[in-house]
Order: sequence, then structure tokens, then C-alpha cells
Amino acid sequence: MRRARRWRAALLEAAVAGGALLCVAPVALIFVTALKPDAEIVHFRSLWPQSPTLASFREILGNPEEIPILRWFANSVLVSSGVTVLVLAVTSSAAYAFARLDPPGKRTLFAIVVGAMMVPGQVLLVPTYLILNRLGWLDTPLALIVPAGASAFGFFLLHQFFLGVPRELEEAAAIDGCSRLGVFLRVVLPLSRPAVATLAIFTFAGAWNDFLGPLVFLDSVDRYTLPVGLALFQTSYYAEYGLTLAASVLCTLPVLLAFLAFQKHIIEGIALTGLKD
Amino acid sequence: MKSGRRRDWSAYLFALPFLALFGAFVAAPVLYGLGLSMTRWELLSREPAVFAGADNFREALSDPYFWKALAATFRFVALATPATVLLALVAALGLHALRGRRQSLYRAAYFAPTLITISVAGILWRWFYNSEFGLFNALLAPFGLKAPWLTDPAWAMPSIALMTVWWTLGGPVVVLLAGLQQIPAPYLEAAELDGAGPWQRLRSVTLPLLRPVLLFVVVLNVIGAFQVFGQVYMITRGGPEMTTRTLVQYVYETAFNNYRMGYAAALSWLLFAIIAALSVAQFRLMRER
Amino acid sequence: MRPCRLIPALAIAVALLLTGCGARRSSPVTIRFWNGFTGPDGRTMLRMVQRFNAENPDVQVLMQRMDWSTYYNKLFVAGIGGRAPEVFVLHTRVMRRFSEAGFARPVDDLLSGPEPLDAGDLDANVWAAVRFGGRHHGLPLDVHPLGMYANRRLLREAGVVDARGGPALPADGPSLLAAARRVTKSAAPGQPPRWGFVFANGLTNAYTLMRQFGGEFFTPDGARCTMDDPRNARALRFCADLVRRERVAPAPESFDAWIGFRQGKVAMAFEGIYMLADLRKQTDLDFTGAPVPRIGPRPAVWADSHNLCLREGMDERRLRAAWRFVKYLSDHSLDWAEGGQVPVRRSLRDTERFRKMKVQAAFARQIADVRYLPSLPFVFEFETELGIAVDRALRGSASPEEALRTAAANVNRVIARRRAAGVAP
Repeated sequence: MRRARRWRAALLEAAVAGGALLCVAPVALIFVTALKPDAEIVHFRSLWPQSPTLASFREILGNPEEIPILRWFANSVLVSSGVTVLVLAVTSSAAYAFARLDPPGKRTLFAIVVGAMMVPGQVLLVPTYLILNRLGWLDTPLALIVPAGASAFGFFLLHQFFLGVPRELEEAAAIDGCSRLGVFLRVVLPLSRPAVATLAIFTFAGAWNDFLGPLVFLDSVDRYTLPVGLALFQTSYYAEYGLTLAASVLCTLPVLLAFLAFQKHIIEGIALTGLKD
Repeated sequence: MKSGRRRDWSAYLFALPFLALFGAFVAAPVLYGLGLSMTRWELLSREPAVFAGADNFREALSDPYFWKALAATFRFVALATPATVLLALVAALGLHALRGRRQSLYRAAYFAPTLITISVAGILWRWFYNSEFGLFNALLAPFGLKAPWLTDPAWAMPSIALMTVWWTLGGPVVVLLAGLQQIPAPYLEAAELDGAGPWQRLRSVTLPLLRPVLLFVVVLNVIGAFQVFGQVYMITRGGPEMTTRTLVQYVYETAFNNYRMGYAAALSWLLFAIIAALSVAQFRLMRER
Repeated sequence: MRPCRLIPALAIAVALLLTGCGARRSSPVTIRFWNGFTGPDGRTMLRMVQRFNAENPDVQVLMQRMDWSTYYNKLFVAGIGGRAPEVFVLHTRVMRRFSEAGFARPVDDLLSGPEPLDAGDLDANVWAAVRFGGRHHGLPLDVHPLGMYANRRLLREAGVVDARGGPALPADGPSLLAAARRVTKSAAPGQPPRWGFVFANGLTNAYTLMRQFGGEFFTPDGARCTMDDPRNARALRFCADLVRRERVAPAPESFDAWIGFRQGKVAMAFEGIYMLADLRKQTDLDFTGAPVPRIGPRPAVWADSHNLCLREGMDERRLRAAWRFVKYLSDHSLDWAEGGQVPVRRSLRDTERFRKMKVQAAFARQIADVRYLPSLPFVFEFETELGIAVDRALRGSASPEEALRTAAANVNRVIARRRAAGVAP
């Protein structure tokens, strides 16, 4: 019996690992190909570089006048963190309000918020630009952080997760004399850690990779975020492969490492605390 | 029992920051953008916007390119969304059953493609799919095979869908996994004690409890799939022969290449209406059961 | 912070303030310069800008670049918000659109001002192409025609050689076909396939041939599209035959057919001079550049130009500075040419330095024959239709005649729609 279970576990892991490998292979390919010299990249003689070189990386990092990549990195960190904090603060409170409390017109408001996600972003480009121009926020990080705060995605996600938090725990805390805000901060949020952490990751990654917004709302190359800076190695019809891949590695690696480090904090939420009382 | 009025107030107080930002930066631009649908506004002409009533909508409904783009969009959604959601569910269930340290590593692997920015992902897969000089056909050549990944209209959209599944699988996997982790263990333990096998536990405990999160994943995936633009634009630019040009690309080109803001807005309204109708249907379907 | 540390800090702060105040009185004029020069082009231009800033301390040029499609979007989005940059680049093919919208200030008066520039030094056809309503709306910086890139090794190995044993670059239709056939057959069994030719860019290639066959695209008054002109169909048939009948070129891809040439698997391709920087990176490729072969009876080659344009409504001081910058770029267009462009200042082309740029000089021989796309307000819609027609013909899903007929009908629908809306054709 135990041997059958071990076989099943091994098969399961093999299947999961196989899928993971398929997903990661192209990403790994980017990393490996970035080490090839430019002339070697277009050939597919072998997946591994025949004469590995850091030339592309050196060209990107060693040219701060033309390619201020560290500045772009700092801008990306600033903007992505700012957006994440803002979105978490703003959407968690709103999602809680809609999931637990019962404001009038809740259904309509909910529909409007979710409905806003269904409008293609390109249509919003011109009006948003005009609004930001009026506010004087163009070419500043504010243009990238503030409009992103009202994340319908975040609202919707947390709303669904909060619906799954058992009411008994909140009611118990309320009976113990906790205010609404206290219940929210001290009971609900900690129990929703998987959801909140998930939203944080998504928001950060989304803001990190956002391209059209920074492109249109920023003017100075010094204020660029990484994806926009990265686009400087591409034209509409071809790309400088070595530089693009190397820049892509530099763009992806931090978020990947942050994800790996951060996800250790996503502990199995309610399953542990549970309804033991 | 607390008084109803006090609860209403605090709800809006909680939601105020979100609603303020939403009103200013989402609702206002949306209304403006969609309001343009009733005007004729050719950018880069000295003429101001002119009220045109339903002209733009009439034009859209008789525009063969609109229908062609709509068909392409539907084809994409049908190919990409079920595959993505099902594979994500399977992967999440697998990851959830795995437990242990390696789970985090595998989850990161599934999520890694999502971290690649669209332009690089597009260039990479363009390279994979090039029928003459690309990687996939180079790998198939020793077997005497050569697939027309992007050159044959029958293959092009499935190829883009495949790339999309790879690129967007990570998000639903992470969300569904979080949802699975939120299911209280006691429920499953109780079911096991009652003699339920793993399949039955899945069907009668896990999936029903997962439903709000699953609904979220499906709805969001559909909404996103209908608005697909980036990867198509990067990989085929709508080709071959505009058979993969999706509606959002058509909107984009109408607005920014042909400079017809009013018409682009009308097309967006139509797309919005379709997505909204489908979302309502999904909500109803998944709630009733 | 201890008091004794405060005093020097305060002193420094005050000193900075004072110098700041002083500097503000004669602060440099800021000129924003937007363009679509990403890639190695962009770095060349950036260096030119930096050199200008160094040599002109009273002017500060801030350059912003992004890929062309987003560039044009951002340009007019900014224009609507009143934030168009002082200097920006426009392709010749979109000039009419932007000049009609009052975006670009005519430059004729600046040519004879305090920083004069001799318009006679510019190539006449390139200069005339930016003339609308009797005035020129930008200063051409370069012309980038199509040209033939050839893989010398493949040609030699296929036996396409001249008397001295070097590769014989075809100069007309028959020799192009012959060369392509020989290369395609020359692949040894077991080796990866070789192609004589590849359509690196279907639209520009087909347009070149159509112009060579003498085809017209519009009636002289611009009222009707005549893309289905039989001469155009003949040109398109030549292209389609390369793929479908002669089988010397592979089926078209939407993108990246160019990779094949870089991989050394294709002998000849027609692409713009701007691909030179990309090719130089392929250090294992022995390539050369030459004019496009004369396949049809008329000499013609697709080209476009980058024009430096000035925003309307600048004050005197800013206008002077912007013009000084524009003139600087034009005077230094050999620096620009190094990166893979052809300057349009004839005096600069007539120098040893330019003659040493072999590929650019070869492409430059075609300048008199360059044909821009038709000057239209709806140029992007026209391009889309032409692109679809070329695609269908090359792919074989429609005959060239049929494909062009459909395209012409669609363009005529656009014209009709514009007429109904009261917009001039």
C-alpha cells in the first residue's frame, strides 16, 4: 500500500515538474541566448553558446550615457512598489466593504467596477493623457502610480477571496469589542494572506512590465522604466537580439528573485488557523 | 443586530479611496472615450469633433473588417481560454497535492513566463515559429517535418493561442493555488473520514468551495482574451492576410493609424457590449449551480 | 547635527542658491527632439545630439526615442494636449497628413535667415516631396531607399561569378532569376536548404517592382484608386512567381524573413539601407550592397525619408535654437550616414568619407529613381490594403489581378467614405 502511494506521489511530481519544465524552458533559453555573441544568436547550431560572452550585458551596463539602465531599474522599483502599496491599501478596504457590508447600490457599483475592465485600454489612452496633462503630472512617477491605484482586478480578486473567509471569526472578534476597522485589520487581512500576497505579486509584476503607460506619459529618458528602456533596442520590424535579450534578463531577474523570496511568506492560510475553536 | 444605516456609512468610508481613484482615472476616461463613439473626429484634421449620432455604429455593423476581426477574436478566445483555465486548474491541483519545499519552486517555474515582458515574449515566439528559419522547424527538420506555424491561416491563430497559454498560465495557477490553500483542511478531512475517495472529494468539496475563485479566473480570462492585442501584434501583426487581426488591434489601428477616434470608440463599445453580455452569462451560470 | 557643522553647510547652500539664481538668468533654451530612432540608428543620433549640446552650451536638446508605430501615436496624442515637441521627425509618406493638420511649420523662411542652408544642395526630388501648398514643411535629413543585399559566398558557391571570379550581382530580371535558380539548386543533399531570394519586406519589394513596370496607383486627381492597373498586376505576378513557380524564394512570413539572410541561407534580399547596422553585427556573413536590379522597363526603387520638422507657434528664441539644431544635423549628415543612411546633401556625398561607405554609396546611386509611396492623408489604410494584396498573391491564395482588384475596391471605399464625410481626398 505504501509503495503504491509512493509511486503515485512520484508520478504526480513528475507530471508537475514536466509542466514546469515546459514553462521555464523558453525563459531559460532567453537567459542562455543572452550569453551568445550577436553573430551566433541567429543560428540554431546549438542551444548552448559556443563562445559565451558577457558582451551584450557589458554594452548595456557599461554605457550609462546612452543606456542609463540603473536609473531605469530604480524608476521601475519606485513605480512598481508605489503601485503595489497603493493598490493593496485601496482595493482591500473597498473589497472588504463590498464583500461584508451591505451598501445600497452595491450590485450596480460592482457591475460598473468589473465592467470597466471590459473597455480596451487603448481607448482610454487619449483621455487619460489629457487628464494627467491638466493635473501637471506628465513626466513624473505620479502619472504611473496614481491612476493604477483603482485596480478593478485587485478589487475583484480580493472580493472573491473575502467571500470565502468564515464570518464566525469576524463576528467573534466583533463581540470581543473590536471595531469594524479592527476586525478588518486584525482578523480578515491576516487570514487572507494568500490572496493579498497573490495580489501583491500580480500588481508588482504588472506594473513592472507595463509598457504603453510609461511610454506615453513619460517624456524624459531618465524617467523611463525598464520595459520602455528595453524597447529602445527594438524597431517595429526587427530587434537587436543580443541587447534585447540581455536587457530582458536584467528586467526579468529581479522580479523572479523577488517572487521566489516573497512566496515563502504565503503560508497555507486558513487551512492552518481553521475553525479549531 | 447593528442598525442598517451605520453599516452603510462605514462601507462607503472604507471604499472611498478606491471609488475616488476609480472615478477620476477609470470612469471619467471611459465615459469620455466611449462618448467619442457618437462623434466623428478625425485627428490631425483641423476640423473639430462633430456629433454623428449612430453613424459610427451603422458603419461598424456593415464593415467587413469588423466582422473579420470579431471572428478572429472569437476564434482566439475559444482556443486560448478553455485550455488556459483547464491546464491551470490541473497544475494548481497538482501543486497543491505536492506539498513540501519544491512546491514553491515549481510554482515559480509556472509563473516565470508571465514575468517576461510582451515585446520580448513576442520576439521569442516569432523566432520559434518562423517556418523557414525558426527554432521549432529546425528541431522538426531531422524528422522531415515542417509546420506552417504562422504562414497558414489555419495554423496561425492556434499558434498564437499556444504562445498565450504558455505566457498566461502562471497567473491562474497562482490564483487557483491560493484558492485551494484557503479551503479549510477540516472540510476535506471530514469528507475523507466519511469514506470519500480523492475524485469524490474533488467534486463535492474542493470544486464547490473553489467556485468563487474559479469564477474569478474564468471571467477574467475571458475578458482578457477578448482584448488580446499585444501578442498578436508582435507575432503576426494581424497576418497572414489579416486573418489574425483581433478586434482590439482593429480599434488600435483605427484610432492611431487611421486617426478616426470616433469610429474606434464605437468599435470599443461593441466589444464592451459583447464582453459584458458574456460575463453576465458566466456569472449566472456559475452561481446558479 | 552639531552647530559647527551647520555653518559650512548653510554657506554652501547659500552659495548654491546664489549661483543658481545667476545661472537662471541665462539658462539654456530647452529643445525637445522626438523621433523613432530605436536600435543602432538611435545611438548614432544620440551621439550627434550630445555633441551638439557640448558645442552649443546655450541650447539643451533633450532627445526621446521610441519605435515608430508608438512614436506616431504619442506624437499626435501630445499634439492634442498642446505638448508637441519643438523638433520632431516625420517620414515623407506621412508628411501630407501632418502638414495639413498644421503640425509642422514650413521652413522656407528659415533657409534664407541668419543660419542659411542652400536648398539647392538637397536632392531635388527628395526636397520636392515635402512640398505642400507651395511650402516645404520639413528639412530632409536622409533618404533610405531599398537596395539589394547579396551573400557573396552563396553566389560564388553557386557559380554566379564574373570574369574575375567574384560574385556577379544581377542587374536585371533575367540575371536575377538565373542567379536565384542556381543558388537554390546549389544546396548539397543533407545540407540545410538554400534560397536564392527572400521577400524581407513584401510591401516595399512589390511597390518597387510595380513602379518599375510603370504602374499607377491613383488617377491624377486622386479621386480613384487604380491599384489594379495591369502593369501593377504584372509586377506582382513576377513576385508571386518567384515563390510559387520558380520556387527560388520561400513562402512569406509576417516578420523576420530577414533572419534567413542573416543566417546565411539566402543569397539576395531587397531591404532598406537602414538594415546595414543590423547586418554588420553578423560578423560571419560576407555580404555586399548594390542597387536593386532593373526588372521592369522603368528605373524605380521604393524609398522613404526622415524629415526634421519644427512645431508651429514657437517664440523667436526657441525657433532660432531649434533651427540651429536642425541645420547642425543636416550639416553633419555624414555622421548619420555612418550608421546606415544616405544623406541628401549632394556636397556631402561628394566626399572621400562618403565614398568609403561602400554600401551606402551603392544604394545612393539610386537616388534619382526613388519613388515614395503616394502622398495621401489615408496612407496607412492604403498601405494595409496593398500589404494584404501582396501577401495574398505571394501566398497564392489569390491571383495578383484578383488581389489588387479587391485592394483597389477597398481603397475606393475609403475615398468614398471620406468624400461623404466632406473631407478632401
